[in-house]
Amino acid sequence: MSASTVYIALFIYFILGSIVARQAGRKLGGGVNEFFLASRSLGGIVAALTYSATTYSAFMLVGLAGFSYIGGVGALGFELIYLSGLVLVAFFGPRFWLVGQRYNYLTPTEMLGDRYESKAVAAVSAVAAVIFLIPYSAVQLIGIGALLEGISGGDIPYLAGVGIAAFIAVYWTWTGGLKAVAWTDSLQAAVMLVVAVLSVVLIAYRGFGGFGGMFAGLESEYPAWLTVPGPGFFNINTFVGLTLPWFFFSLSNPQVSQRLFVPRSLGQMRIMVMGFLVFGFIYTLVSILWGFSARLLIPELAIADNATPVLLGLEIIPAGVALLVMLGICAAAVSTVNSIILTLSSMICRDVFKNSRKPNDENRELLVGKIFVPIFTVIIVAFATIRLDLIAALSVASSAGLLVMVPALIGAFFWKRGTAPAVLASVVVGGLAATILQYSGLKPLGYWPGVWSGLIATVLFIGVSLFTRPPEKKATEFISYLQEELGRKKII
Amino acid sequence: MSLERQRLIWVIVFLVMVLSAFIVPFTPLMSNLTKFYGAFLFWSIFALVVIIFLGMITARWKDDQDER
Repeated sequence: MSASTVYIALFIYFILGSIVARQAGRKLGGGVNEFFLASRSLGGIVAALTYSATTYSAFMLVGLAGFSYIGGVGALGFELIYLSGLVLVAFFGPRFWLVGQRYNYLTPTEMLGDRYESKAVAAVSAVAAVIFLIPYSAVQLIGIGALLEGISGGDIPYLAGVGIAAFIAVYWTWTGGLKAVAWTDSLQAAVMLVVAVLSVVLIAYRGFGGFGGMFAGLESEYPAWLTVPGPGFFNINTFVGLTLPWFFFSLSNPQVSQRLFVPRSLGQMRIMVMGFLVFGFIYTLVSILWGFSARLLIPELAIADNATPVLLGLEIIPAGVALLVMLGICAAAVSTVNSIILTLSSMICRDVFKNSRKPNDENRELLVGKIFVPIFTVIIVAFATIRLDLIAALSVASSAGLLVMVPALIGAFFWKRGTAPAVLASVVVGGLAATILQYSGLKPLGYWPGVWSGLIATVLFIGVSLFTRPPEKKATEFISYLQEELGRKKII
Repeated sequence: MSLERQRLIWVIVFLVMVLSAFIVPFTPLMSNLTKFYGAFLFWSIFALVVIIFLGMITARWKDDQDER
């Protein structure tokens, strides 16, 4: 594909998105709630689409397709068990939303700090999120850089791809905060889903005469790919190690858990959850079938992540569709990165900056948050540029590292005995364990870093809580309020 | 039935379902079934059942009771 064609397609995508972002940001008020939470007034459909676009990154059509290429159907189990993790939102979603309304929380980490009556809890959790999510975002940009370089035969330099994606992400975020991000996410989610479905139907029919033909091919040529452990990649330890941290993604990742504050009502939150589930189910199936197609059509690849770029170059995919898929993957990456940048900026302004100053001034707080939007973007680009091994390790460790927040979050809603020192111990020690294990490649007793970080965080949270003093008054007030409200609404 | 009891029942239902999603495809019966209707269909149906159950749980999340 020629570089000029790709540039023109990206330019049109940028212009369309910018029009949407401008429209969305037109009536933006001046406060932090307006900028970072869209005034807590999102409708269910937009909320579902932004939740989907934020959750699903370039990993799906590249990494997950690569997993199914190399490891078979285990990739489907991994991703669908993640999807079933939305059951956590069924329990925690209304609770987040209710306390968000009552205490005016801006970030999930602010909620933790207030509930455990400790500014250090908010600040340390926010910094932990920054440490794990910056490399995760950098990998998204690395993916775009590599994709555009590959698809143009090297005519689009790697750094140009990284720069373009980063510019689009920061421009839309800056234009209108979460409103602009949510509406451009909606546009991008639609592009992601439509082109993914269209392309997989095309591949199935042009390559195999239909989905039946695709599965018949797998059953005869690669039967092991329809089982686990199958070809060997998804042995039980790998499967559990990969899947367990992701099951808790909807709670552990602040860029998605912050979305639980933004629907304008619980009815709209229901539309958000159900819409996301349907989106996720379809998008997962498509990504897996994409990997299976690559296995049958291009079986000799040395690197599984190349399955998608190489597949896009085959003749059975018309050039126009390949271009759209490329845009869909860019959209998936940009929509994840800009949401992360926005969430991290809100955490810095609320949990680090505001906590350290008195008196509190909302204008100044907003200014700090907005300034951090480009600052984080530059840091992410810098990380994507140097391509250190540590970045890849930290990115993989992100799910294991963020998992350490989960005991504190569950405790906040269900355990009055939880304490601030316990949260700090579980987040700091658990996070360090995740990083060290991931970077060193150690798997004690054969278990993956996510299993260990989750275990360490849980044990520390419970153990340290039992020996320290809980914030009794706050815990009682917080949990009693929820019991009363949920009881009134008959929500479990 | 009290809300606590309903919550407990749903927690148990989901615990069993999610554990089965980890275990069943690795059992000898299914790990030797090299067909579309093996692990692929099992996990797909698992996800669809989860979606239906979540639809049931969230049915009580209403607009009219919580207008801002």
